[in-house]
Amino acid sequence: MPISNEFFKGFYKENPVFKLALGLCPTLAVSNSLQNAVGMGAAATFVLLCSNVIVSLIRKGVPKKIRIPIYIVIIATFVTIVDLVMAGFAPDLHKSLGIFVPLIVVNCVILGRAEAFAGKNSVAYSFIDGLGMGIGFTFALSAVAVVRELLGSGKLWGFPIMGSGFEPVLLLILPPGAFLTLGLFVGLFNWLDNKRTTA
Amino acid sequence: MKEILKLGGILMLVTAIAGAALSMVNVITKPKIEEQKRLVTQRALVAALPTADPDSIEAVTQNDQLEYYIGYATAAKKKIVGYAFIAKKYGYSSEIETMVGVDTTGKIIGLKVIDHKETPGLGTKIEEIRYGESSPYFQDQFINRTIDNIALDKDNGEIKSITGATVSSRAMTESIVEGFKRLEQKLDGFKKPITTQEQVN
Repeated sequence: MPISNEFFKGFYKENPVFKLALGLCPTLAVSNSLQNAVGMGAAATFVLLCSNVIVSLIRKGVPKKIRIPIYIVIIATFVTIVDLVMAGFAPDLHKSLGIFVPLIVVNCVILGRAEAFAGKNSVAYSFIDGLGMGIGFTFALSAVAVVRELLGSGKLWGFPIMGSGFEPVLLLILPPGAFLTLGLFVGLFNWLDNKRTTA
Repeated sequence: MKEILKLGGILMLVTAIAGAALSMVNVITKPKIEEQKRLVTQRALVAALPTADPDSIEAVTQNDQLEYYIGYATAAKKKIVGYAFIAKKYGYSSEIETMVGVDTTGKIIGLKVIDHKETPGLGTKIEEIRYGESSPYFQDQFINRTIDNIALDKDNGEIKSITGATVSSRAMTESIVEGFKRLEQKLDGFKKPITTQEQVN
């Protein structure tokens, strides 16, 4: 498989959120504004990229029996780094993402890629896989967030977009709005898939 | 047995490397995080003492322990407009820290939660700003109150507790009352006109 496929599969064919249904918890929780979504996406991408590279580098030396604890230690280390750096340099983002920054440790996208891909593939491929999956995850989060922020608070990236006559649909920035929007996106992706295979 | 030792050894090596890497990152980020904390305190002080000149607010310490802050009307520090103290009490899952500002007659003029890690969706409502409003509705209830009428509705007071977050509401309310009492003691009571600087040091 050409290496470019490994990159682009993360957007559509194997999009972690819409297709693999991984990492749904942060997608639901921090997609209430585009800023949060991009911040979370960037943090998760960084962790994914680093953990994929390290896991791939040491894949031959890791005993099979303890690979999961080792992967978790590696992931947790990078998450802590992100947490510390964010607290020091982007305190507002750190505050609005709150508990979901440390929770990147248990984001299944990251352990999933370490186990399913980086543990079996070369460093270059793992790097591209991490980058593609990370951007795909950010894309999914942002897609949900754009809909929710625009309709739920009439803003985009914190700026008022909709005119003053627009009545925000409060439901959309509340948790049910996350489920509704995500469900509709997953449906859209499946529908596109069906159309492609039957055509 | 030999295998267990080998696996344990490898795990230990991995965690040791991770720990070393983290301590290096910590060295770099620690001063930055502390600087951010200082800024948070600074912003909380401005919120707690809205009538004071932000540059005039100074800390009063005793034996290197922070006692309270004093805010003056101008940077020249002639007329005291109020005091601020940090109220702390353990809530449901964390210590709730609030900066509270009172004027010279003992009336709360501003407050801001500095730090807490309460349950998202429940305890975090102590800081929640309702849609279309500009300040947190729970904290707004404290404004203009004196020590005599700060109590939660569940304790026969007037402050409406947050549904599903009684513990956090109560912790914050009680911490403010306790901090208030401490401040009153330190100042030897309110209502005395305090215009000079002598009690500062």
